[in-house]
Amino acid sequence: MTIMENAGPLDQTAFGNQSPTYFGDKRIHLESRDINVWFGNHHVLNGISLAFPENSVTALIGPSGCGKSSFIRTLNRMHELIPNAGLTGEVLYNSQDIYASGTDPVTIRLGIGMVFQKPNPFPTMTIRGNVLSGLRLSNTRSRNEDELVETSLTRASIWNEVKDRLDAPAGSLSGGQQQRLCIARALALSPEVLLMDEPCSALDPGSTRRIEETIRELSESMTVVIVTHNMQQAQRISDQTAFFLAEDNEPGYVVEFGQTDALFSTPNDPRTEDYVNGRFG
Amino acid sequence: MTTQLERPANAMPWARVSNSTRLIVILASVLPAAATYLFSLQSDWGGAALLVAVFLPLQLLSAAIAAAITRGARGIADSILTVTVYFSIILVMTLLGSVVVSLFKNGAQAMSWHFLVWDSRYVTTSTSLDYGGVGHAVVGTLIVVLLATLMAIPFALATAIYLTETRGRLRGPVRFIVQSMSGLPSIVSGLFIYAMLILSGISNRSGFMAALALALLMLPTVARMSEEVLKLVPSELRNAAVALGAPRRAAFFQVTFPAARTGLVTALLLGLARIMGETAPLLMTTFRTDVTNLNPFSGDMTLLPTYINAFVLDPHDTSQHRAWGAALVLFLLVGIIFISTRVLTGSIKLRRK
Repeated sequence: MTIMENAGPLDQTAFGNQSPTYFGDKRIHLESRDINVWFGNHHVLNGISLAFPENSVTALIGPSGCGKSSFIRTLNRMHELIPNAGLTGEVLYNSQDIYASGTDPVTIRLGIGMVFQKPNPFPTMTIRGNVLSGLRLSNTRSRNEDELVETSLTRASIWNEVKDRLDAPAGSLSGGQQQRLCIARALALSPEVLLMDEPCSALDPGSTRRIEETIRELSESMTVVIVTHNMQQAQRISDQTAFFLAEDNEPGYVVEFGQTDALFSTPNDPRTEDYVNGRFG
Repeated sequence: MTTQLERPANAMPWARVSNSTRLIVILASVLPAAATYLFSLQSDWGGAALLVAVFLPLQLLSAAIAAAITRGARGIADSILTVTVYFSIILVMTLLGSVVVSLFKNGAQAMSWHFLVWDSRYVTTSTSLDYGGVGHAVVGTLIVVLLATLMAIPFALATAIYLTETRGRLRGPVRFIVQSMSGLPSIVSGLFIYAMLILSGISNRSGFMAALALALLMLPTVARMSEEVLKLVPSELRNAAVALGAPRRAAFFQVTFPAARTGLVTALLLGLARIMGETAPLLMTTFRTDVTNLNPFSGDMTLLPTYINAFVLDPHDTSQHRAWGAALVLFLLVGIIFISTRVLTGSIKLRRK
């Protein structure tokens, strides 16, 4: 497998045996094995095997159209909602395949939360209602809702801005605030893993910085996977980075996966070096 | 901190118009009307001919000249379109307005409190307007339309949900059938119920049979409209709900449905508009009666359209007045139902202080 060859100093511990459960000294929380993705008969991702260690941030970088977003959606079974979607391979979450027959996608999505590229708070609900919407939607109970609202909004670093208007409609917030509200909404369900699909691409630098700080704080207790177009962002916030690439009309694949520092400073593959140095993409 | 400024009265620089422009615009609006008036004194043309053959071309010409002077050649097409649009608006609004005005003028003669509440027992063509009313038809309309709505809405909504929220294999055929059904001539739905349920002896004519025929008409209208409305809800919202671990039922009822609520109410109202004035299906399914019948399952029931239909065919003045009165009552009833539905479902917000 390509990623074994390119995994750098980590490869012996991470992929040394058939079923790696540790990446360095960290437990593997989520892992994709030989994921292939199709839309109709169009093959868009080829043999993606990546391991996401717990309490770390993994960045997925690569040029547009190389399948990063499609890949991240396979990790919490959002992929199957697209008509004509196809998939082979396994995604192991706490060593269980989430695509095993009989697995309830709803339970998977409760453990693996997601934040989307475009802020999408529920417009018919208040700020408070948005934070609690995950509970209502999944019919989960909380002992103390007020406390949950406050801790979720605090973790998403938006509490101070909205604490006096929790009953205002979510649409009254600015774009950056809406995105942090969406993060708070995902956090309210206390997921173990948070998937973020270019969460800052629609935001200004100030909001981006606050969300990056939030991601760093979250990674102390959560596993974060983030798709980003911004290589500086990947360098600032991630522990591991995977570089995706797709040639014209070919399915996307992982060129190189390893520690972020190593991948940006001493890439193993010349294509990675060209990309991280801004020579294409 | 910056200080707040009081808003000056002239804080709209875009509204500043030079005096010469203002003069030209006033001239362009007044001159064609004046010229048309002078022309009308000299000729025996009718009002409509004057309006279309004299006023409209003059107005278009003067607007084009005014635009050429004030804005140059690029303003000409704009001004011609503006005149055409305003002319069309005024024309249509005048036509619609004249319908409403004649409805009020003719209907008002029959209107009185007892006309609204009494039924038509012992009323003949020679009975004066002081006696009898449309109470039985109002009650009949309300009962039958309510029944039809209660029967049609669940099926219409279920159809729309099937078409938008599922990936069922039959979506294509279902959408096709719903579309063709919405073009169904209303008399066919009446004949259908008549042939299937009344002629075959399963049921006698009744208000319920009328409600079935109306429900058949209402269903495709509401289903089509609801489908369009549900399609407008951004898929990002559905994705967000699903990513939060929502089963699809919860995602629909807590996210998609509330987001589409105003539009769904519009779909319901369009469905009501489709059936409230229908006459043909009623003629097949329930006979007119002059007494109040509150039981939709037995006996004939009069509805406002059938009441109007019966009296408008009678040449006596009082009958004509009764028909106009009933038409006005139906008009007002539809208005009341529409506004109260909007208020009850929160799509019009009454001012709260």
